[in-house]
Amino acid sequence: MRRLFCLGLIAMLPLFAAGCGDRSLILTVDVLSFLDPADVSQSYGPIPGGLSAVTVDVASQEVSLLPGVEDVTDIASASLKIGASFDNTTGSASVHLLIYITSADSADVFSSVPIADVPVSLTPGAVTNVSTEISSDALAQAMVQDKVKIGLRISFDTTGSLSPVQGTETITKLLATVITKKKL
Amino acid sequence: MGGVATSENKASLASNIAFRAVPSGIQTRSIPLPIGLFQVLHDHPTFDTSDPDFNAFQLLNLVTNPPLTLSITKPKDISSEISIFVARDSLMVDLEDVQRAIPENGWNLGGVYHMFAIGIGVKSFFVQVVPTIHIRNEFKLDDALERALKDAEPFTGNTRYGTHEDGEAQQFVAWQVGAALRPLYRLPDDANEDDQDDPLANDPRRNGATALYVGGAPKYLWGLAYGSAKGTAGITTGDTLFGSGDPVSIDMAVQMRHSAFFDKKPPGSGFGADVGAVFFHRNYELGVGVNDLGSQIKWKTTVLDHVYSDSTNQFTTTTVGRNVEYTSRVPVAVIVNAARRSGSMTLAADMVASELKTQIHVGVERWLGMWALRGGSYLDQNGRWQFTGGSGVRFGNLGVDVALATHSRNVEEERAAEMCASFTLYP
Repeated sequence: MRRLFCLGLIAMLPLFAAGCGDRSLILTVDVLSFLDPADVSQSYGPIPGGLSAVTVDVASQEVSLLPGVEDVTDIASASLKIGASFDNTTGSASVHLLIYITSADSADVFSSVPIADVPVSLTPGAVTNVSTEISSDALAQAMVQDKVKIGLRISFDTTGSLSPVQGTETITKLLATVITKKKL
Repeated sequence: MGGVATSENKASLASNIAFRAVPSGIQTRSIPLPIGLFQVLHDHPTFDTSDPDFNAFQLLNLVTNPPLTLSITKPKDISSEISIFVARDSLMVDLEDVQRAIPENGWNLGGVYHMFAIGIGVKSFFVQVVPTIHIRNEFKLDDALERALKDAEPFTGNTRYGTHEDGEAQQFVAWQVGAALRPLYRLPDDANEDDQDDPLANDPRRNGATALYVGGAPKYLWGLAYGSAKGTAGITTGDTLFGSGDPVSIDMAVQMRHSAFFDKKPPGSGFGADVGAVFFHRNYELGVGVNDLGSQIKWKTTVLDHVYSDSTNQFTTTTVGRNVEYTSRVPVAVIVNAARRSGSMTLAADMVASELKTQIHVGVERWLGMWALRGGSYLDQNGRWQFTGGSGVRFGNLGVDVALATHSRNVEEERAAEMCASFTLYP
């Protein structure tokens, strides 16, 4: 019943959109705001050099979004703007910032295919800022769910580093935009 | 003339029961020319919901404004994206253009609609049967929800966003017996009473007489069906708008009451009355009509409470009572009109106060030979002054009239302009 009620409220929005011809419902979700502040900026390392795949799970969290959106809209497109900063103090590494967003039904968010895979190259004593935008059907499907699980993982390849890799990563932007059309 | 009610206007006959006794003045018959049809046929909104140009607001405006008049200017079509921004502790809904379709004071509609009248009259007395429908619906957003939707103000935590619904409808047949009399009639000394060459010699609007006409008609109201719904619904946000749990708690409580003759309920029963008076003095006219004075109908109703429980996530319906006596009210309508006729000039005004609105009309007409100039203004149901102006030309018994008028009969409740035209048949 609760779902029906929420569905009714959300259904009003595409109905309003229906009044506007071939217009869209644009859903923008600040994914970053849902993460625990302690997860947004974390220290990593020291990770010994010479290792090909060391993963650090930064965050794993279940969040409630707008209920009913999926039922009343057709998804046209979705994108995710990603921003991160790595203040690397020692060592060098090839890093992949992996972002997972999946249905809350999933047992383990990290067992799904990552929504985004952002490569980063870390060098000693340097701050590396990365910023990118990806489009994904999987992202679109996830962001119109009632509840989703969000996971952030960093994979380090330190095979080329003679000294341990150590520093602080900060996620600066995770902004998802889903453009939907009315289904009703 | 801005749609002013006068004793001479046939369309105003029901507004003041005393008008029945006043001799006919210059009775004309107007045949509207549906000049707006050409415009709609040439450029009509699409009815195909899959068409990219489909616009429900355009259709709603078309339905609520049958295209009899030519649209000169109209509000910009409601057409925009709808954006929702969601963050852990923030929700903003920007309806953009659609905000214009949300009225400042909620959605109010209704009125008392006399469907038709069947009756006979003998001298000053008459009997008539009038099937009638009364509808009133008031739907309001509370301040917080209105600001969130109309002004795109972000939703905040620990706040209730609610709606209020209060509506009723009743259908009944009025069996009415009445009389309209002339207790006072005094002509000036120089009047040409009964002058066969002057068709207006006995018209108190123009012969300078001092005359009073009064009317009264009690009526028995035979109720066929009644229904009402009154309640609130809302959502209350938690500490955090989108946390790991349910983001909102929901409440809803509606009381419904109904009774229907066709549903094996006894018919409603009640009484009311229409009264009116119109006074003429030296070609001035002042009328007061009061319709549905004290009109009430007693019903045997079934009362139901519908309540949503957030804790159990279920609706429950409780029958509060059956055959519960309830007295509904048919709202009174008061019409005050004034007019002054002097040669080729007519000035008129009225005020119509009813359940949901008070309207004021003023108008003037001046004949210059075969040409007529008309102007007027009225306070519409949205509380906005509208303006009319037009001209007419008469050829013998046939006339052609054209007028320009502003209005706000649209979803956006914004000012628009239209042109209307009609043929007029003169006696």
